[in-house]
Amino acid sequence: MDIYGEYREALEQVMEHLAEAIRRVSEEAEKRTGSGLYEHLIYRIKGDESMREKCRKKGLPETAQSALVAVRDAIGLRVVCRFVDDVYAVAEALKALPGVNVAEEKDYIRDVKPNGYRSYHLILSVEAPFADVRGENPGHFYAEVQLRTIAMDSWAALEHEMMYKHDAPNRKLLTAELKRCADELASCDVSMQTIRNMIRGEGGI
Amino acid sequence: MRVLLAEDEKAMSAALVAVLKHEGYEVDAVYDGKAAVEQASKNAYDAMVFDIMMPIMDGITALKEIRAAGSRTPVILLTAKAEVEDRIDGLDAGADDYLAKPFAMGELLARLRSLIRRNQTDSASLTLGSVTLDVEHQELSAKSSIRLASKETQLLQLLMANAGKPVTTETIAERVWHGEEADDSVVWLYISYLREKLAAVGGNLAIAGSEGGSFQLAVAS
Repeated sequence: MDIYGEYREALEQVMEHLAEAIRRVSEEAEKRTGSGLYEHLIYRIKGDESMREKCRKKGLPETAQSALVAVRDAIGLRVVCRFVDDVYAVAEALKALPGVNVAEEKDYIRDVKPNGYRSYHLILSVEAPFADVRGENPGHFYAEVQLRTIAMDSWAALEHEMMYKHDAPNRKLLTAELKRCADELASCDVSMQTIRNMIRGEGGI
Repeated sequence: MRVLLAEDEKAMSAALVAVLKHEGYEVDAVYDGKAAVEQASKNAYDAMVFDIMMPIMDGITALKEIRAAGSRTPVILLTAKAEVEDRIDGLDAGADDYLAKPFAMGELLARLRSLIRRNQTDSASLTLGSVTLDVEHQELSAKSSIRLASKETQLLQLLMANAGKPVTTETIAERVWHGEEADDSVVWLYISYLREKLAAVGGNLAIAGSEGGSFQLAVAS
């Protein structure tokens, strides 16, 4: 049986609600400025088997309670933006949604991880008109949202692909080189943002 | 520290090698200009000391060839002749300093230290406030790090070397873009890049100024 049991439908509704909110915010920006806030938006409910594996790794029983409360990324969304400012614009819009509270916020764009990883992570607690695993209605459901630029996203994808092989030779050198690539891409992101600010007449800063 | 010495008088060469080694330098000694050019193309030196009057190829010709090959290693010329022409030719050929024979060994050593020190600080890292600029690697860092483009590095280096002083757009165009086309808007764009990048690494430096005017780097209060 599916680890989410009777709550799967609610998870899908909550995920769709968040995705719809992001689309709406982007469309409003497009009307105002001529360009939307993101390049692409993907989302998923964590698969049954991978959620069970995560519970096992954390030493949790494979129950809906574990999957929906102890683990907080059953619902996952990734917003890939063109510009750094757009990342923050989407994040602010999500935080301002009614019924949404921020459970955790990690700004790895400002507080860059030592390996060069940059991304903005939000764990949201979303109130929705469905019973949750605690028996409350309206219930509360966690969702993880990762926001980053195209450059940050491509770095994360390539880094994962290359460093997944744990026994790669020259690991130390490769890690340092990948960090350098991340810092170069970040530099381009900032330059592109500066150029757009100039075009939009917002000056240097 | 490795020094290339080109001096054809054997006794003089032996004395210089002994003194330099005593001071902790590794020394490669050659006895004509052609051998100096060959050695310089093979190894990385921290400084070179060339006599001017040498067989096969003189010191000034050797220096010109080494500079033409792109080397920026500091070079001190030794000249037996106290003629002004020789000194002018030598400096124009790319020498950084000269000493007229006879010279005091202590002075040669002091000039070597001075040149090597200057060459190192030119390419070392600069720190101001919470911000460090690693010039060689073009890396800007504070809370996090970011890589800069070549012109951004040169511009920030100029502003950091003149922190607290206004630097005009004209000075920047001349010092960073040299003879290239650079109008006010290019300088302004690069100032804007640096402002955003200083913010991106969480640094506490601010660049004051507006398009076409003077710019002043300072620790933000």
